[in-house]
Amino acid sequence: MGFFLVMKAEVVRSLIIMRRYWFATLTGIIMGYGFLLALVLGFFGGYVPIDKVMSVVENILGFIIGMFAFGIIGLFTSGLQGMARTGQLEQVCMSPHGLVTNFLARSFVSAVTSILSLSIVFTLVALHVGGEFHAPVLPTITLLALTYVNLIGFGFMTGGLVLIFKQTGQIATLLRLGLLLWAVFATEEIRKLPRAAQWVAHALPVTDAAICLKYVMIQGQRAMVENAAGELVPEGPYLSVFSPSYPSFYALILSSVVWTLIGISCFRYMENVSRNKGTLGAY
Amino acid sequence: MVRLERVNKIFHTRHFLLADEDTGRRTLYRKKTVHAVNDVDFAVKRGEIFGLLGPNGAGKTTAVKMISGLVRPNSGAVYVDDLHVERKRLKVLRKVGVVLEGTRTSIWPLTPLENLAYFGNLKDVKGPVLKQRSRELLNFIGLKDKMNVQVRRLSRGQKQKLAICIALIADPPVILLDEPTTGLDVQSSRAIKDKIIEITREHGKTALVTTHDMNVAQELCDRIGIINHGKLIACQPTDELLGLFAEKTFEFHLNRAPDLSLLRQIPGVEAAQLLDGEEEIVLAVTVARDEEDRSAALYGAIQCLHAQRILLRSITQRRQTLENVFLRLTGDTEPK
Ligand SMILES: Nc1ncnc2c1ncn2[C@@H]1O[C@H](COP(=O)(O)OP(=O)(O)OP(=O)(O)O)[C@@H](O)[C@H]1O
Ligand SMILES: [Mg+2]
Repeated sequence: MGFFLVMKAEVVRSLIIMRRYWFATLTGIIMGYGFLLALVLGFFGGYVPIDKVMSVVENILGFIIGMFAFGIIGLFTSGLQGMARTGQLEQVCMSPHGLVTNFLARSFVSAVTSILSLSIVFTLVALHVGGEFHAPVLPTITLLALTYVNLIGFGFMTGGLVLIFKQTGQIATLLRLGLLLWAVFATEEIRKLPRAAQWVAHALPVTDAAICLKYVMIQGQRAMVENAAGELVPEGPYLSVFSPSYPSFYALILSSVVWTLIGISCFRYMENVSRNKGTLGAY
Repeated sequence: MVRLERVNKIFHTRHFLLADEDTGRRTLYRKKTVHAVNDVDFAVKRGEIFGLLGPNGAGKTTAVKMISGLVRPNSGAVYVDDLHVERKRLKVLRKVGVVLEGTRTSIWPLTPLENLAYFGNLKDVKGPVLKQRSRELLNFIGLKDKMNVQVRRLSRGQKQKLAICIALIADPPVILLDEPTTGLDVQSSRAIKDKIIEITREHGKTALVTTHDMNVAQELCDRIGIINHGKLIACQPTDELLGLFAEKTFEFHLNRAPDLSLLRQIPGVEAAQLLDGEEEIVLAVTVARDEEDRSAALYGAIQCLHAQRILLRSITQRRQTLENVFLRLTGDTEPK
């Protein structure tokens, strides 16, 4: 019950701010679109060759997922730091629902709005370069939700660290940038890595999310096979992302659960440490 | 309503230095501890306005934050309405409204009305109750004509008034105000003071106010606690506190300095000293509290001055103010 009220407060707050600063919201979308397009077209010299379109769209999707991760985790790092600096964090801490609930609501609202604006950017850019993608409703929404859960777990952990160790703010920014890039490169190819590296890759918060989303949206839930020309194309038999023989989905669920548990307990602990040190307000 | 029992809070701070002053070694910083709140014990009764005074860095804000659960005490316990703040923190938060120092306690891009809606929702106030109460509060505090203006366009005093509304939005039985009148003009601080009195007297709330403004404290508070270097050095009803140094001091304005040793021999005179006056000589004579003795002492002093052929320009009685009491209590207790 309380959660929904906090959520309502956050929805209203962000809608008002978005509306009041609609120009910034709009230019954000346009800039994202322009930036991505310039990046892609610049790379290929103005026009994307037909045989490269699929991998380009895949990379764009990776980049968009990366942007999403960058934004959500940013809420827990620089967002939290900003709130501490302005004193809003203390104000929110005094709400009888606790900081975790508040940040859950806050990040949920921000996830929904950024998914909306990022899908607009993705669709525009993908269509512009002549690519196509799939968006089956149930798998896409499920995957997006899991991606969000996966990310907030990680976000809570970094947020907890930032609460106490002020210096980690910069490192957190680097980490976010790293995740952004990693989302572009995370594909099923990681299965070819040595075992230890595979474990590390799966432990990172966006890996399985990016793999699954690419599998559904780009490959259309089909396995890759080698065609006559020796290229990999998604023309294998249809295999639902939810199917037990598609392991990445279950890896994603596992990763989400583990990260959320670690993240929230870490955050709770750090919140108490921060109250001990009195750093919720003074930054 | 609010009770602090042997509460201690120690902060660790870093002192950034070029070279360590004690050892002369070059260090980046040295860790030191600050005993921000030291064994503080006090209780605020229901319906009372309690003032917490103290110089800068005395630990007032820390005390307020410990009552609102933002800072955890190292030892001791804080209770609000008999609920332990650490163990029942979320429950306690429903009972207190807090105005922290500073102006960033509201969301600047939103208007006062939207701020109240936001913070109301965070505190489980919703629907028609929220709407009605927000308007009532803004009306009550006098922000009605600004209720649809973004907070960043409000003046400091208006932001402070909004902060009080935010603290009151969930209708908590206890409100904590940290320096509610700092930086406000005479009218605004008077208005805020009157509102605080109104809230407690008419709506039966309990208030804890920290302030540097002695006039506000003297007129507002039923009881006053004075805290210095983390220690509570006085905690009494305001009248008693004012009577604490109620020895009577009279100031004699003279044309030249008298012989102080003669004056000090007069029975009933407890102290006599010359103040560094501007042009004229001011002699401060502290006399006994007992009426007869005081009378004798005053006659004696006047005769003594007369005998020395000193021109007596005027006599005034020094009024005891909270400021004097405060300075007396806090002035001579330097930290070790
Ligand atoms: N988070 C913190 N970390 C380290 N030291 C702190 C922290 N917060 C407060 N202190 C120290 O604790 C002491 C008490 O600070 P506090 O803010 O409670 O003073 P105050 O009485 O509110 O002063 P003022 O009148 O200036 O507002 C100060 O010496 C301060 O340096
Ligand atoms: Mg203070």
